[in-house]
Amino acid sequence: MTRLNATALGATLVATTAMGTMVSAQTIQIATHYNEEQMAPLLACFDAYEAANPGITIEFQQAAYADFLQTILTSRIGGTSPDIYNIYSIWAPQLAGASALAEPPAEILDWIGASYGAGTVGAATIGGILWGIPTELSVYQLVYNKQLLAAAGFDAPPATYQELRDIAAAITKTNDQGVIETAGYAFGESVATATHPYYSQMYAAGVPPFGADGRSTNFTSPESIAIITQQAALFSEGITSTTNEVWDMSAGTLGMGIMANWNKAEFQSIFADAFEDTIGVAPIPTDGPGGTMLYSFLWAVDSTSDVQAESWALLRWLNEAQDGAALSCTGQMLNDLGALSGNLADLAAMDTDDSFTAPFVAAIESGTAQTQPNVWQAAEVDRILHGYITQVWAGVMTAEDAMAAADAEVTAILAEQP
Amino acid sequence: MTDLSDPLAHVKLVSLPRRKVRWLDRLDTKQTAPWLFLVPTLAFAAVFFILPLIYAFYISMTRWDTLSPPRWVGVENYRYLMAADPIFWQTFWNTLYFAGASIVIGVPLAMVLAYAFTRSRGQVLWRSLYWLPMVTNVVAVAYIWKFMLDDRYGIVNRSLGFLGLGAPGWLTNPSLALTSVVLIFVWMQLGQNMLLFSAGLSNIDESYYEAGRLDGATERQLFFQITVPLLMPTTLFVLITNFISGLSYFALMLALTDGTGGPLRSTTVTGLYMYQMAFADLRMGRASAAAFILAAVILVITLIQLRAFRRGGVEAH
Repeated sequence: MTRLNATALGATLVATTAMGTMVSAQTIQIATHYNEEQMAPLLACFDAYEAANPGITIEFQQAAYADFLQTILTSRIGGTSPDIYNIYSIWAPQLAGASALAEPPAEILDWIGASYGAGTVGAATIGGILWGIPTELSVYQLVYNKQLLAAAGFDAPPATYQELRDIAAAITKTNDQGVIETAGYAFGESVATATHPYYSQMYAAGVPPFGADGRSTNFTSPESIAIITQQAALFSEGITSTTNEVWDMSAGTLGMGIMANWNKAEFQSIFADAFEDTIGVAPIPTDGPGGTMLYSFLWAVDSTSDVQAESWALLRWLNEAQDGAALSCTGQMLNDLGALSGNLADLAAMDTDDSFTAPFVAAIESGTAQTQPNVWQAAEVDRILHGYITQVWAGVMTAEDAMAAADAEVTAILAEQP
Repeated sequence: MTDLSDPLAHVKLVSLPRRKVRWLDRLDTKQTAPWLFLVPTLAFAAVFFILPLIYAFYISMTRWDTLSPPRWVGVENYRYLMAADPIFWQTFWNTLYFAGASIVIGVPLAMVLAYAFTRSRGQVLWRSLYWLPMVTNVVAVAYIWKFMLDDRYGIVNRSLGFLGLGAPGWLTNPSLALTSVVLIFVWMQLGQNMLLFSAGLSNIDESYYEAGRLDGATERQLFFQITVPLLMPTTLFVLITNFISGLSYFALMLALTDGTGGPLRSTTVTGLYMYQMAFADLRMGRASAAAFILAAVILVITLIQLRAFRRGGVEAH
């Protein structure tokens, strides 16, 4: 073979190899609301996966939680949708209804069924179809400041509404200008701090906020009216006000509030060594059978993705413990955030024995924490309900009138679903 | 041999078909040429203003969540907003209050301050200071005021407490929150309005004031009898631009209330409600319909303003 021929052959081989690499090179784009710092364990896993799977490149896109749905919509209109989303379960009905989500393949469905709890799987299921892999679980419980309760003469959290009212009244302190400096109890000016606590109290009272068919509400039930009336009484009696919010727990100026478990990391960083002695968690006070609400996020794949099989394979890898590790990549990230995982193996391996986390895990494992229903236009429904609840707090409407109006408005929206 | 006395003689060597010549001739006429030069502008307006407007009007007649194809519903979105929606009219009145109050407070204040500064030393410094909020990001402005107006720890209420006064819920009391937003907006806009009034004041000939002083007019009379009437064209411009921007403004409310428009929707103006409908509830059709209703209201009010000022103000001077 002449030198020229050898060079030509070598060049052809290199070109063929390069073309082969180009053909098999695939990019998987993943969008989440977690920022890069929170995503650190997963980003390291992306590098490991790329190293183990030549030709696969993983790109991470971050969008703020408040803008996440808009980002998905805009990217879909522009034809630049990410391949994988980490979505809030209540967004799933509309995304699934618009055929924006890809159904998981059979082997992934089998694996999810074997690896996740039934309640968790329910949060990612719409109309009998499971649309993704459950990830972060958020559960609501009563979070209280042990030191403020002790200073007011109470050594245990309330179990009933009357106890809650008495303890909250004893804790509340106003300043010289008449502003509540330390509130015994607080809500907030958002869906997460007003509507979700209401849902949680409804489950605790033994009445789900929505009908089983997702087309009706129980807003006007006696339990619902009692809950809203009791909430409003805390305002009218000067035990709380719109100035006070559940976020005041971090400042040590709030006695009690219904909050989710994902606040743990912030409390730990603020209270440091005093965390366990300051922050306590208890079941939601109620006169009913007890219970609470949980909501979840899920990994989903875009229906227009041209790397669906690769995306599901990556997601399974990210949610299974690798190389003898105790936690999966997703589980490690959630653990670092102080969040809970819907993955049973991850949940068992997480640091959940501390006094803060244990009551949340107990609610999940006992089944008393029930999934937030994935009703049609859930975000809008939550917002409407929030508007009526705050009107009762302010004394503008009675609980009966407000919940009747909310029921009429929300029922009309639920009737829109296909 | 070429005739050097006629430099364009060689042009005649090129002969175009008769039809083409006529077409080119027509482009050269006074009727056609201006339109030719306007083509880029008109094309830009058609693509970026008129087509989106037509498309938005079409969307306002549909139910569209951006995920599925739009579904035709006719005037249902308009009917719902105007007859059934329990929130829309509240946001509409909030919008009018916001736009009206920011003008009632902001425009006279800007005029008086501009007048005072044209007669003071360090005009440039004063103008720059008052202009600063305009070049500050609205989110930064919102956060600064949020801290300052905090019920418990804000510097405003702490100062009132030091004086033995009560602590208003500037942003937590539903009957006070929108007024607080108006005051912050006035503070933001003051520099821009002052700048416009300063430009108007510089066009008033000093001889009017000299004549007035010779006739024994006081400073107050000079301001009300000379400055205010002669500033009428500037005032009209400031009023109309402020009112239009006030009617469609919502960025400050969005940042101040974390997008909720609370408390009790007291700071939810129609612009913010449209934003919530479109991007939180995915009701693009309803949001578009609200935008057209708001645009119609702005048009009517602007026409009334123009007519009122032309008759009673600008044309009278």
